[in-house]
Amino acid sequence: MDSDDEQDYMQDSDDDYGDYDQEDFSQEASDDDYGYEDMGEDDDEPSSRLPTAHYAILSDEDIEARQAEAVKSVASVLSVTEEEATILLRHFKWSVSRVNDEWFGDEERVRDLVGLVHPAGLETGRGRRKVSCGICFDDFSRDEMIAPRCGHLYCKDCWKGYVHSEVGEGPGCLTLRCAQPDCNAVLGDEMVLQLVDEEDRKKFLKYARRSYVEDNRMAKWCPAPGCVYSVEDLTGSSSMDVLCRCGHNFCWECVEEAHRPVDCATVNKWILKNSAESENMNWILANSKPCPKCKRPIEKNQGCMHMSCTPPCKFEFCWLCLGPWTEHGERTGGFYACNRYEAAKTEGVYDEAERRREMAKNSLEKYTHYYERWATNESSRQKALEDLRNIGDKIEILSERQSQPVSQLKFITEALQQIVECRRVLKWTYAYGYYLPDEDIAKKNFFEYSQGDAEANLERLHQCAEKDLNQFLNDDPAAPTDMTFTEFKTKLAGLTTVTRGYFDSLVRDLETGLKSVDGKAAAEAGTSKSSRSKSKGGKGKGGSSRPKSNMLDEVAYWPCERCTYANPNASIACQMCASPRPA
Amino acid sequence: MAQANHVQTDIPRSPNAKSRVGMEAKPVDSHSVARRLQSELMSLMTSGDAGISAFPEGDNIFNWVGTIKGSVGTVYEGLNYKLSLKFPTDYPFKAPMVRFETPCFHPNVDQYGNICLDILKDKWSAVYNVRTILLSIQSLLGEPNNDSPLNGYAAALWPNQEEYKVVLQKKFRETESGGVSS
Repeated sequence: MDSDDEQDYMQDSDDDYGDYDQEDFSQEASDDDYGYEDMGEDDDEPSSRLPTAHYAILSDEDIEARQAEAVKSVASVLSVTEEEATILLRHFKWSVSRVNDEWFGDEERVRDLVGLVHPAGLETGRGRRKVSCGICFDDFSRDEMIAPRCGHLYCKDCWKGYVHSEVGEGPGCLTLRCAQPDCNAVLGDEMVLQLVDEEDRKKFLKYARRSYVEDNRMAKWCPAPGCVYSVEDLTGSSSMDVLCRCGHNFCWECVEEAHRPVDCATVNKWILKNSAESENMNWILANSKPCPKCKRPIEKNQGCMHMSCTPPCKFEFCWLCLGPWTEHGERTGGFYACNRYEAAKTEGVYDEAERRREMAKNSLEKYTHYYERWATNESSRQKALEDLRNIGDKIEILSERQSQPVSQLKFITEALQQIVECRRVLKWTYAYGYYLPDEDIAKKNFFEYSQGDAEANLERLHQCAEKDLNQFLNDDPAAPTDMTFTEFKTKLAGLTTVTRGYFDSLVRDLETGLKSVDGKAAAEAGTSKSSRSKSKGGKGKGGSSRPKSNMLDEVAYWPCERCTYANPNASIACQMCASPRPA
Repeated sequence: MAQANHVQTDIPRSPNAKSRVGMEAKPVDSHSVARRLQSELMSLMTSGDAGISAFPEGDNIFNWVGTIKGSVGTVYEGLNYKLSLKFPTDYPFKAPMVRFETPCFHPNVDQYGNICLDILKDKWSAVYNVRTILLSIQSLLGEPNNDSPLNGYAAALWPNQEEYKVVLQKKFRETESGGVSS
């Protein structure tokens, strides 16, 4: 993680003024908090793996510390008090550079904007013994009254009432102005805090802290329910996946869960579709007909064509022609066949309604197909996440039984991390697939092929990490196993690498919009894939050059002479370019 | 004021007010609200402003009834309107709810008597009081804000003052004959 820290540091210092950097916090964040990112991430290749830190996770204390830093910096550069600096920063959404620019651009305008009017002499009244408070109309001696910088005096109780009622209204109390109508002067935190009770004090300070995240373009709350952390963007890169300290992985841009390589627009469309009533409507359309009398939708799930609508309607009709049942009988072809329907169908009366129903049914089937796979991958991911959370205990047992140090067993954690990540990617590829136009056959085939490949590998990896691993965790340590632990280790680590390779390539393909399919496409795709497949092929089978990988699945390949694509042995023609298999 | 003593015992305790009882140093208490309202009442009665008046309704000092006379020289001249003022327990830090009880044909008043006036909404200040509210509404009658009307018909009609007056008089007589008048 060293490189990350360094990057954070550099980014900070060119964002802001020299004396303002966040090195300490970034370090803290990256050291402790990406626990599971630390392991096994050596190369910088963009890929489906866990995100690297271009951001920092902030706790409440971090936020306060950052606010204090920013305030100090502004106060010293502008030669204003820290209270004034706070007001300025809140107004300019916690951007130190913006405060500086605006202030030095036109100080008077800024003062007017934020209510930092020049301190006025206090209202006359020193001479008189009592002053009347303009709110409660009672008379007070001068020292029972206070005023903000503008000098408008009211009694302390009225100020308290004013502040209390404003704090109750919400974060607007952070920029509280004088109670005098049309007076623009801000109250300032010092005065506010001196007037509030304990409960309001807490509220006010909470709003003050939250303003750092909520007003700040560079910071967001983690969207996970109940999560208290916020995230600060350190590099200004808009598209990145964020892994919060709570374990939630989300997209910075749209704040939905992380969905790389699929873009935000597709994801939003998909989520909308999942939640939308439209699918229900499609189902109703495809599987029901409205009662001809009361128009309520009816699903016919069994029985004859003689329908009786439920009370209060009770209308009896024929399911096929939707005509009243009273017209049915011998003359319409008996009770079991509706001639009226058959006749009308030949005339084409029902065609359109039929077609619509048919189409709705097809589109629903398509959607269901993708949705099921999307949802299944999500539940597999949840399962793997849970395994990952509980892996510590298992590793301890293994470490004892296999007499291996825990550090030697981190390949299991890595495998699980890879599974979680791959399940996530795979899940979103189904949303992608749903929106891939049917007409673009080449792309669709290529996509489905890559997806299928990746999925098959993931399944093997997942199975290995679950079933094979459990052999070594049996209650009876002496129970026989399919392989030695060393073999298992090699297999799992190998599968992890191979699967990662597949997903990296899938992610790359999708992120470039399957460009490689266009034009001479097939050949290129074949090349890039073959290099990948070779590694897999290498580990594939007993007879290959790398005996280490013996226990990997039994797949062998033949390279296509034309496009070099590595085809499985079972195929007789190249799957990419369809040239026949050489003899 | 004999009435005043009586009034104080009748202060309504909203759930909100109750929850504050347990709090330390509660800044708003109903007694101080009542005190302020009483002092407003005093000054209103002694000031003798032309065309406006207000008085608590019954025993409850949190509900007032006000009256406004249409200003001389406006189409509302000679018309009297009754309003209700309901004061929240955090008055004067929150604006009172003010409504026309006499139906009022006006661009910024809706059919239920709700008034669209900035000082009753976001521009409210604790320094305002019943007197300033009633004076503001009185001047609103003669100078409507036709850009954000609650009553679009009235706003559209406003430029044609003669016709507006005819409609206004007709509507006002309708309410009078309906027995709702003040």
